[in-house]
This record gives sequence, C-alpha cells and structure tokens, in this order.
Amino acid sequence: MTENAAWLNEQIDQLAQQQEKFTDRAFWLALKQLIAEQDRRADQLGGEVDGRTWSPDQW
Amino acid sequence: MKTLVLVAHPHLADSSSQQFLKESLPATGIDWEWLDGQQVIDVDQEQTRLRQADRVILQFPLYWFAAPASLKQWEDTVLTRKFVYGDHRYPLAGKELGVVVTTGMPGKAFQRGGAEGITLDAALAPLAAVAQRAKMIWLPTLAIHQFGYLDESEKLQLVIRYQRYLTQAQPDSLTSRQAWFAERLPEMIDRLPADQQAKGKLIASVFEQKSADLDQLADTLALIKEQSDD
Repeated sequence: MTENAAWLNEQIDQLAQQQEKFTDRAFWLALKQLIAEQDRRADQLGGEVDGRTWSPDQW
Repeated sequence: MKTLVLVAHPHLADSSSQQFLKESLPATGIDWEWLDGQQVIDVDQEQTRLRQADRVILQFPLYWFAAPASLKQWEDTVLTRKFVYGDHRYPLAGKELGVVVTTGMPGKAFQRGGAEGITLDAALAPLAAVAQRAKMIWLPTLAIHQFGYLDESEKLQLVIRYQRYLTQAQPDSLTSRQAWFAERLPEMIDRLPADQQAKGKLIASVFEQKSADLDQLADTLALIKEQSDD
C-alpha cells in the first residue's frame, strides 16, 4: 500500500467511526474497499499498457 | 430503478437476519412487502406492484431446499397463467428477478459432496423457470449463510452487498459498482454533520479522480489493442 492509500484509508476509517448509523458506517467502509479495488485495477491496467507498449517488434 | 422486495418468512419478528435486512434497506426506490403478513392476497394489487417494479426480489430462508409455503401460495395466487403469458403480452418481460436466501448451513454445504448435496442454483431451479417463462432476467442469487456467525465487519459488508443487490445495475462489474457509489455520494455527504463534510468531499473527490483515471487507462489500452495486429 502506498503512503497516499494508507492516508486515504485512515481518513475513511475516521469518518466511518464517527457515523452513528450502522448503515452509514457500512457505506463509507464499503467505499474504502472499492477504492482498494480501483487501485488494484489501475495497477493491472497500467502494467498491461506498459507490457503492450514495450514491444521490440515495433521499435 | 424501482425494486419490489417480497419477503416470505413465517416468523419475521423473530428472525434476526430478516430484521437486519429490513434495517439495511436503501432509503428510496424500494417497495417492501411481507407475504405472511397478509390475511388475503389482493391479486390486482400484487400484479400492479409487479408491473411497476424494474427488479423483483424474492427473499426468504431456505426450508427443505425451497422457499417457505407463503411464497408458493403467493405465486399460485398472483402469477396466473393469463397474467404471466396467457394473452401473449408478458407484462413482466425484461424485469429482473433476484433471490436473497438465508441458510443455516455454510456455503460449502451446497455443492455435490457437501453436507446438503445440492447447489442453491439447483434448489432454486423452479423459481428460475418461472422467470424464464415470464421472460424475466434471472439475477445471480445473493446467499447469506449462517447469519448468526457473522462478525461486525462481515455484517457491515453485508449491508452494502444487500443494498447493491437491490438497486445496483447488473452485471456487478467494477464499472457498475463505481456508478452506484458515485450516485449515492452527494446524498451521503449531505447527511454528514457540518464538521465532517470537508472530509467526505475530499474522499469523494479522490474516488472520482480514481474512476476517471481508470476510464482513461481503459481507453488507452483499447487504443493499443486496436492498433496491434494480434
């Protein structure tokens, strides 16, 4: 996890903890999970872009 | 989107899982109905509710590999041949049909060789056949196994899984999930106390930026794929 991601997670955890309603807390924590999924997908897509671009055939 | 939730449970007030799901219902867009709570089934009214819904959710505990009797009674009374397909009009065509089922056994029991020896898809086949006959779109089932054993964090996750199952566009892809959260964020931020709104907005803006970045990456990749010969 990058420093930015850790910081963002901390912000979301704090916000979630401050919510009195269980369902509100659930929403922010689920958003945190979705953001983690976005980060994973961005890594994978970025890696695929790099891999496909790095093609000696096309040099 | 309008979602009709039909709950079949003979002892709703005593069911912690059903009470939990009721508390977890999304604030808007839901028409909720407890089938066992009706003395008489008003066929016209039930059919109207079905016509008005975009998605229909059947929610029940699994009793002997099927829904409780009240659901069958409702089906037999409301889903008349004439209503479903008799006059070749198919009023339910294109609507989505989903099942939220709770079980006392763990998920791994529902497979060949498992303790129950039958998959949930197999047990729910008669309902899926009704959906097909009505030209409805059958959704992947939301199964909640052993609710009583869930810890706090799992229950928090279940709230949103359930809300998304009721109201999120299908298929359940990352794109659909992002859209679901993006649609709800403004209202969730509004509901925050004033001193928490800045933090909510900040989180939302990071989320939106990440969504935009992903879109752009996907576009770039599509372009590269288009240009390559493979």
